[in-house]
Amino acid sequence: MKANIEKTFQVNEPIGKVWEYLSDPARIVTCVPGASLTDQIDQDNFKGEVTLKFGPVKASYSGQITFQERNADSYHMQLLGKGLDSKGKGSADMLMNGSLVEKDGGTEVTCSMEVTITGMLAQFGSRLITDVSSSVFDQFVGNFKAKLAGEEVDNTLKAGSMVGSVVKGIFGKKEG
Amino acid sequence: MIRCKTSKEIGGMGHSVKRKEDARFIQGKGHYVDDIHLPGMLHMDIVRSPYAYAKIKSINAEEALKIPGVLAVVTGKDLEKYNLHWMPTLMSDTQMVLPTDTVMYQAQEVAAVIATDRYAARDGKEAVIVEYEPMKPVIDPHKSLDPGAPVLRTDKPGKNDNHIWHWEVGDKTATEKIFAEADVVVKEQMHIPRIHVASIETCGCVADYDKVNNHLTMYMTTQAPHAIRTVIALVAGHVGLTEEKIRVVSPDIGGGFGGKVPVYPGYVIAIAVSFLVGKPVKWVEDRSENLQADSFARDYHITAEMAGTKDGKILATRFKILADHGYTDASANPSKFPTGLFSIGTGSYDYGAAFMEADAVYTNKPPGGVAYRCSFRVTEAVHAIERITDRFAFEIGKDPAQLRMENFIKKEDFPWKSPTGWTYDSGDYHAGLLKAMEVVGYEELRKEQAEKRERGELMGIGISTFTEIVGAGPSRDFDILGIKMFDSAEIRVHPTGKAIARFGTKSQGQGHETTYAQIIAEELGIPAEHIQVEEGDTDTAPYGLGTYASRSTPTAGAAAAVAARKLRDKARKIAAYLLEVSEEDLEWEPGKFFVKGAPEKAKTIQEIVFAAYTNHPLGMEAGFEATHYYDPPNLTFPSGAYICVVDIDKETGEIKVRRFVAIDDCGNIINPMIVQGQVHGGLTQGLAPAMYEQLIYDEDGNILNGTFMDYLVPTAVESPNWETGHTVTPSPHHPIGAKGVGESPTVGAPPAIANAIVDALSHLGVTHIDIPITPFKVWKILKEKGVAQ
Repeated sequence: MKANIEKTFQVNEPIGKVWEYLSDPARIVTCVPGASLTDQIDQDNFKGEVTLKFGPVKASYSGQITFQERNADSYHMQLLGKGLDSKGKGSADMLMNGSLVEKDGGTEVTCSMEVTITGMLAQFGSRLITDVSSSVFDQFVGNFKAKLAGEEVDNTLKAGSMVGSVVKGIFGKKEG
Repeated sequence: MIRCKTSKEIGGMGHSVKRKEDARFIQGKGHYVDDIHLPGMLHMDIVRSPYAYAKIKSINAEEALKIPGVLAVVTGKDLEKYNLHWMPTLMSDTQMVLPTDTVMYQAQEVAAVIATDRYAARDGKEAVIVEYEPMKPVIDPHKSLDPGAPVLRTDKPGKNDNHIWHWEVGDKTATEKIFAEADVVVKEQMHIPRIHVASIETCGCVADYDKVNNHLTMYMTTQAPHAIRTVIALVAGHVGLTEEKIRVVSPDIGGGFGGKVPVYPGYVIAIAVSFLVGKPVKWVEDRSENLQADSFARDYHITAEMAGTKDGKILATRFKILADHGYTDASANPSKFPTGLFSIGTGSYDYGAAFMEADAVYTNKPPGGVAYRCSFRVTEAVHAIERITDRFAFEIGKDPAQLRMENFIKKEDFPWKSPTGWTYDSGDYHAGLLKAMEVVGYEELRKEQAEKRERGELMGIGISTFTEIVGAGPSRDFDILGIKMFDSAEIRVHPTGKAIARFGTKSQGQGHETTYAQIIAEELGIPAEHIQVEEGDTDTAPYGLGTYASRSTPTAGAAAAVAARKLRDKARKIAAYLLEVSEEDLEWEPGKFFVKGAPEKAKTIQEIVFAAYTNHPLGMEAGFEATHYYDPPNLTFPSGAYICVVDIDKETGEIKVRRFVAIDDCGNIINPMIVQGQVHGGLTQGLAPAMYEQLIYDEDGNILNGTFMDYLVPTAVESPNWETGHTVTPSPHHPIGAKGVGESPTVGAPPAIANAIVDALSHLGVTHIDIPITPFKVWKILKEKGVAQ
């Protein structure tokens, strides 16, 4: 089960600073809702965990995060996360591409994310996956902006509100 | 109009006798497997694989065993010690009971949790931690034979690809010659989607092994209890469980539709655990397990071709099939028929050449495929022939009804030998289609369609004139695991003239308790209400291969008639003795023998039976019982003419089935009301794959609609008003001229609906749409063609 999401957003910070944050594993991973780094293997490889919740189905994935590309000249990075559910209920992979361009005195960030889920989440959550992933992504953007602004970031997964907004989205469309 | 030979009081054939079994069903007093509670009974739940293809690195039961009530976690390695970790399928393939190292499809059984109650078992299941190493699965059957595809069945020595078998029938050379020379050749690729029987009751069992007496009672949801007993004996004989020590009981069943023919791993695990611990073990699937893991149906990719003349004579057909069987070939076909009875796919038409071939492949999907309300792949065959016939009509610009009328096998040409080797017993296809056209008002509808098209509105009319092949089957060709596909009836008439009759079949809602009684009432004149019908207990019922593929009436129903006739012969002898005349002087009318020319000198069947116990003639065996094992001389060939009318919203693609007329010909009718009920249910199950149902897998082998939230089973809300009727062309070889009806509507409805929808869009150049035809599919076409905004 795959979900592809691409979002572009603007931050009022110089490109150098944004790149520094985007390419720093400790900073970037802690902006992903529900995610944490647990170990560093080498410069590009880390161990980490992420928890996802789709209504009644919750899964905690632990696995490896690899920076496949960090190009400071072109301001492009690619990050691959591969995780297995700790209880053997499935796996999740995420391929994220991030690139920066200077724009309007600030920086325009383009992120694309391809999430692949197997196992129970895919079995039961297939209708929600794109909406939930998109919602997680929005939280990530919010966290990233806050981090750049020097604010404290709470990256716990806001599952309740997330599902709520998804449900509202689905039914809102129907009614509206 | 059906003429009844018996009075309403006797209630023989043709009477709409109310279903005897409904008294308990409508009061919630049915007795199903999950209603069974035995002292000391343990409960089982099953840990299932989240992956389509993965190595099992470890199974950790530590946390699960800490849960109060959880007694054990059984793995494949545990079963391996007793050589019970694998089992044969009905198609002589092999299947894991529990894996020792690799899982082959999502939702596959991985370990079983045994607990003192069901809740603890479920908690235990959640707590078992399995470590997997996922592998890239083979999901697309078209890619499973690619040279680079991983070989899935590494358990089979020497296996170096994913090919299961090749099958072919017909005259290839003659067919190719006709195709090469024909004026017109049409061709379509069709997928008959993977679907599920989705019976209301899921599968389950209570395995009750008595250590002291070395005896197993197996209560289970099975359509074929006797065959299951034999299979258990074959699989477990080596541990001392021989066939006389096994009793299989199939209680009330909440829908089978072929899904309760196979042996699922859960049954075997429950038996193994009960055998080891000496306590009853209950296992009942939940809805998602049933939908995700139990045998699927269909999943045939068909290339269908038809050759004919410009003026509309069908000359030949050619079908090429790719069959996706998932991890193992767990079909439930007769042994010699890997594609079941697909070769009926030459249809209701008179032409001389056909060639069909099939290749089956393994993929990382659940195993199957079962004959879902279908006589083994007849649904697939009928869809192919009925769709390609419409395609041919469209190609040459001929009305599809007219084309069918011109090509039908004529009534007087039966018995008719088909190009694939079947001998059709009887049929009157022209009468069926004429009646359906008359009921629906075909000519007016075509006029209306033309007018609507002028106005830009979308309306379609679809026809399906199918020939079925049921009642497997004659012993020369039909067996399952070597056991011939006869079926049986045993009738015991008590001294007071009331009877009990037992059968080798097993009703799952078909109404056998009523219809079998009516057959016996017809033959013996004992009122149907006084004939108790029993099935499903192998300790009491005579041996038979069970109920599926519309075979009960053709086989066990015939056995009932023949057994009853044996009794009538005996009754004649007793009557002659009582009336002091010779047997030849007696005449029978339902319920009594009387002396020719002196109808007041008569003995009722009740008087005769009483005499069989109290005053039987010297030298005659006392009692009034008979058994018959009926081996049919041929299959029966029911047919039908269905016409469907649809209206399609050109902006949204929404499809509305406005009319659906179903004229069935199932030969002589035992109970018109039950036939009508069967047809209603079957049509709804035909509507299902036509417009709603399909099991969808992503490229990683995840099922994307494994719950009833996403797998759309049509309900009364989606069902149109079914307009049913019949023609009657008796089977010449069946003792009561009946043919069987259960699966006809499921087989015949999908192409009628698909043909109607394609017809509605044909002026846009649409020649085929794969089922299920959803509003989304139609909307995409309308958008592409510039019709929808």
